[in-house]
Amino acid sequence: MKTFKGLATLAAVFFAGSVYAAGPNAQMSQVLDGLKKEAGAASFSAEEGRKLYNAKRTHSQKKEERSCTTCHTSNPAASGKSTAGKVIEPLSPSANPQRFTDPKKVEKWFKRNCEWVYERECTPKEKGDFITYMMSLK
Amino acid sequence: MSFGKKTAGVLAITLTFGFLTALSASADDGKGKRLPSFTSAPSSALYKQECSSCHFLYQPWLLPERSWQAIMDESGKHFGENLGLDAETDKEIRAYLKANSSDKTAARWAQKITSSSEGMTPKKIMDVPWIKKEHREVGAGVFKRPSIGSPSNCGACHQKGAEGNFEEDFIKIPK
Repeated sequence: MKTFKGLATLAAVFFAGSVYAAGPNAQMSQVLDGLKKEAGAASFSAEEGRKLYNAKRTHSQKKEERSCTTCHTSNPAASGKSTAGKVIEPLSPSANPQRFTDPKKVEKWFKRNCEWVYERECTPKEKGDFITYMMSLK
Repeated sequence: MSFGKKTAGVLAITLTFGFLTALSASADDGKGKRLPSFTSAPSSALYKQECSSCHFLYQPWLLPERSWQAIMDESGKHFGENLGLDAETDKEIRAYLKANSSDKTAARWAQKITSSSEGMTPKKIMDVPWIKKEHREVGAGVFKRPSIGSPSNCGACHQKGAEGNFEEDFIKIPK
């Protein structure tokens, strides 16, 4: 039993590592496929994702400039800071392998943060481009 | 003088007794044992994930139950932001906050928070009169330092604040 547990852990570690090196994990691949269907797009663009990440917008009520970079900084591999002063771990999976591995979490933060920056939900195309950009960073 | 020795003695005893009663009513556990100044609420992975991704991990006993209820009722515009909590998450976080709010916590600071905010529903911890009073010597400019940001960032100065330990020994005000 112990040996089995050990082997399973080893396998899990190896699997997680190999999945990361290969790009999105199985769950996230499914998410991306779903987004592609919804968007009616053949593929996503890392370049469009990069633009989305860096775009600046003035909030209609707060009258302040907002962007993904406000909290995550212009370097997705760096730590950021929330508006309430809390450190945010890097967004880029290259610096933080936990990122973009849990579909529920990804969807939740798109919802929160698209609304914060753009005052609307992001489109399936935007989400796909964004994830593709983050996954492309080395 | 009509105010005799006997009267004074009775008065002193009455006052002392009254004072002790008042003290014990607010600071013991009902069995005569003095309460600790603070406590660490049982940790909740969900509360931590949902709430302290963005801000300091506030101990639930920093506010009375009705305050948390008001805050959760407004989670669609939480200090200007929509938290987008799903029904299940909302329910679980409410239950956690309720069970560990100041009114439910047997610690002296929690009791001070409860009694000092009687008749009001503070939606910011710094709006609790006793907490505000405790910070009276900290200038507004200090809170605005880039290393602190705002009075909501307890952890900037209270090094063990996330555990509920706001003792003076663990305060370090950054430059």
